[in-house]
Amino acid sequence: MTLIATRPDPGQARPYTFPDLQRVTVAGGTVIGAHLPGQALASAMLLLDAGAARESAGREGTATVLAKSLEEGTAERDSAAYAIALESLGAEFSPGVDWDTFRVGVSAPVPQLLDAVRLAAEAVRTPRLDPADVNRVRDDEVTALRMDWAQPGPRADAALRADLFGAAERFGRPMHGDPASVAAVEVGDVLAFHQAWLRRPGVLLVAGDLATLDLEALGEAAFAGTGGEPLAPEPPLGVPVRAERRIILVDRPGSVQSTLRIGHRAPERATPDFVAMTLAATVLGGAFTSRLNHLIREVKGYSYGIRGAYAMSRRFGRFEVAAGVQTAVTVPAIVDTLGEIARTEQTGVTEDELAVARSWRAGQLSVEMQTPGSIVGALSTLVVHGLPDDYYATLRRQYLETTLAEVSAAARAHLRPNGLTLVIEGDAAVIRDELVAADLGEVVDSEI
Amino acid sequence: MTSPSAPVVATGYPWPIETTRLDNGLRVVVSEDTTAPVVCVNLWYDVGSRHEPAGQTGFAHLFEHLMFEGSQHVAKTEHMRLVQGNGGSLNATTNPDRTNYFETMPAEHLELALWLEADRMGGLVPALTQETLDNQREVVKNERRQRYENVPYGDAWLRLLALLYPEGHPYHHATIGSMEDLNAASLDTFKAFHQQYYAPNNAVLTVAGDASPAEVFALAEKYFGLLEPVASIPPAPSPHLPGPATSPARETVTAAVPAPRLYLAHRTHQFGTAGYDAITVLAAVLGDGRGSRLYQRLADGARIAQPDYIGSYGVDLAHAPAPLIITATAKDGVSVETLEEGLSEVIGSLVTEPVTPEELSRAKALLTTAWWRQVSTVGGRADTLSRYATQFGDAASAGYRLPQWLAVTADDVTEAAAYALQPESRVTLTYLPEAAETESNGESA
Repeated sequence: MTLIATRPDPGQARPYTFPDLQRVTVAGGTVIGAHLPGQALASAMLLLDAGAARESAGREGTATVLAKSLEEGTAERDSAAYAIALESLGAEFSPGVDWDTFRVGVSAPVPQLLDAVRLAAEAVRTPRLDPADVNRVRDDEVTALRMDWAQPGPRADAALRADLFGAAERFGRPMHGDPASVAAVEVGDVLAFHQAWLRRPGVLLVAGDLATLDLEALGEAAFAGTGGEPLAPEPPLGVPVRAERRIILVDRPGSVQSTLRIGHRAPERATPDFVAMTLAATVLGGAFTSRLNHLIREVKGYSYGIRGAYAMSRRFGRFEVAAGVQTAVTVPAIVDTLGEIARTEQTGVTEDELAVARSWRAGQLSVEMQTPGSIVGALSTLVVHGLPDDYYATLRRQYLETTLAEVSAAARAHLRPNGLTLVIEGDAAVIRDELVAADLGEVVDSEI
Repeated sequence: MTSPSAPVVATGYPWPIETTRLDNGLRVVVSEDTTAPVVCVNLWYDVGSRHEPAGQTGFAHLFEHLMFEGSQHVAKTEHMRLVQGNGGSLNATTNPDRTNYFETMPAEHLELALWLEADRMGGLVPALTQETLDNQREVVKNERRQRYENVPYGDAWLRLLALLYPEGHPYHHATIGSMEDLNAASLDTFKAFHQQYYAPNNAVLTVAGDASPAEVFALAEKYFGLLEPVASIPPAPSPHLPGPATSPARETVTAAVPAPRLYLAHRTHQFGTAGYDAITVLAAVLGDGRGSRLYQRLADGARIAQPDYIGSYGVDLAHAPAPLIITATAKDGVSVETLEEGLSEVIGSLVTEPVTPEELSRAKALLTTAWWRQVSTVGGRADTLSRYATQFGDAASAGYRLPQWLAVTADDVTEAAAYALQPESRVTLTYLPEAAETESNGESA
């Protein structure tokens, strides 16, 4: 026998720790630093309460156009000089927008981080925003969105979002806008968004070797010339769910796969069921061995992969399953997917499945949090959702201790198989008849 | 603020490296770092799609999938369940050169990871069934649809390889393979594939993170030590090529794409050579970031290229002159001819306009950050060490790459451009939107 037959037992686990945090209040803002000794790179993130939710109706994408305009020159230097100054530090500057925040990421070798944050602040606080540049960036963004929307996925995402949240509502429109709404963005919208939201101090997050990083100096660089009080949070939106299923067909002629986006609304991130819901979704569609991936990929071979998860922001959440399946098996793949969602809702999860979900989620808090970038991301969750400094240690314990009954109850409460919206982006001419005949819900054609 | 000059870096790998070789030929590399309580186990098998004979394209990659489906003491689905169910992250990739497998685990599960890897190195064949092969064949065909067929421009890499490397060259075909060959794959072929290539003497095992060399060496001996080496491992077809092509090649594809796009590509030098280090710096000068020549001149200057879709990069292949790929997408209303002319001019400028000290230092700063990012996780470090041990016979030589990039001079870049980027050796792949076959006015639905 050349192989050892017996699976080894685990060794002694080291206790879990999240990096030590330091807080500095300076120049009207707060800096939160996480100590990562020995890392050659450091990351910072300026977090501003200026998410896509603050955009005007019909001008969705304003914040994204602003984010892309920040590098078109500052009060001090033109766009070429700015790019060369930043890149000569080896710095990466990544402004971006999500529902809750406008976030500006900066990473660089530790000795260059302060200069990189100074440059980032220069772009965020004093961008040139020349009207001709803003218009050009806006036009480029329209083109970039058209490029993106030629891929499978974005149109299906937009159709699902519109159905779940209402096409007339901000949360029912794509986070970064669509080609039409971005085309409608005017220079004045961009300037007004900057004026209203990007001149407030915000919070600066830093992860790196704090033995050599000066948090106070970083904060002074980030908050110079800012003012304004923190903004009051707005209430959650509630969780309306359809009385019956609806199927929306997005035509993509010639598509060799059908892109599935199947979901319903769910509670916001602050829900006390967060951990139990996350574990239930891990069993259903999170882990590789999840019910959905096992059946759809590993047994049936319908797909390269299928995932299901809750996505939650400050004011709302949603449950979503996403996959690309071979066109010819679109309907059987949907039937199987609905079957697994319903089974999980009705009968909950098993102890074996839950054991995998618990250990995986807990272990990932170490395995996937090695880098300054990932730690800065973890810090942003604390700030956006008002969580305590010891949150990750608590979360780890909760993942490991949440009971089978709690997880099954969360599945029952937060999966709504009969209230799902099913968006199918694929070759309508090939799949429509079979889809209608399957009688899974009313089939309508997307207007997107 | 002034641009800093490139710092002097003595090594790109400041962590300890210890190596040993088991009697069966398995090379073991350990790089201890106790900062975080995690450990990565990484294996490189020196087999990739370059080893595939005609009619068997895609087999190395399909085989990689089979490695997750159980082995002698690991039931079907157990491999994934045991790794994730103990907190780990895992994956594997196949490319023309090699196949790698890796999992990062909480450190107390090191021994489990080694047991799993040994079981599928030494005991895959008894667990391989027709049912598993048929299932994973369908999964891989869906991977091909998802990544290459169902997305605009998705088949560019497949087309570029065929244009860059002649028929019969091991890089001529893409790793994903053809649907016809995948359909024809038989169980016996895969059993033979495992017996030929998945041998301890054809692999490197690297462990990076919270584990000591002594512990890893002992566990490697325990789990892998009794596996039999394979006496004669069949080599890949000869990869010899004289260097850049001597005549240009061109292909135009009319497809469901949203805008005209160009890919220009050249065969350059092999990864790991001084020549390829110069190409790496050249690619950063030419096409990495908003300060690059391509961005400054075509996206920002002439404004003929879409700013989000312009750049250049080398593909780090080690067994034949590796490709440099330059790509740009036309802005609305710009013809593909105008774009090609612009690209050719900027590429030509690398020979006629020497790279300035500012351009060189910007490129090196970006490469420095990219290097440190790559080795910022135990997973990145383990993969890097496995690569250098497999391809150059010395894991510690990984530490030289960054200093070698930083030693590249402006003259080196000019010389590399003059050698590799001549129009006579260029591959030009053009995508045109279906509706714009005649003349585009930039309208789109």
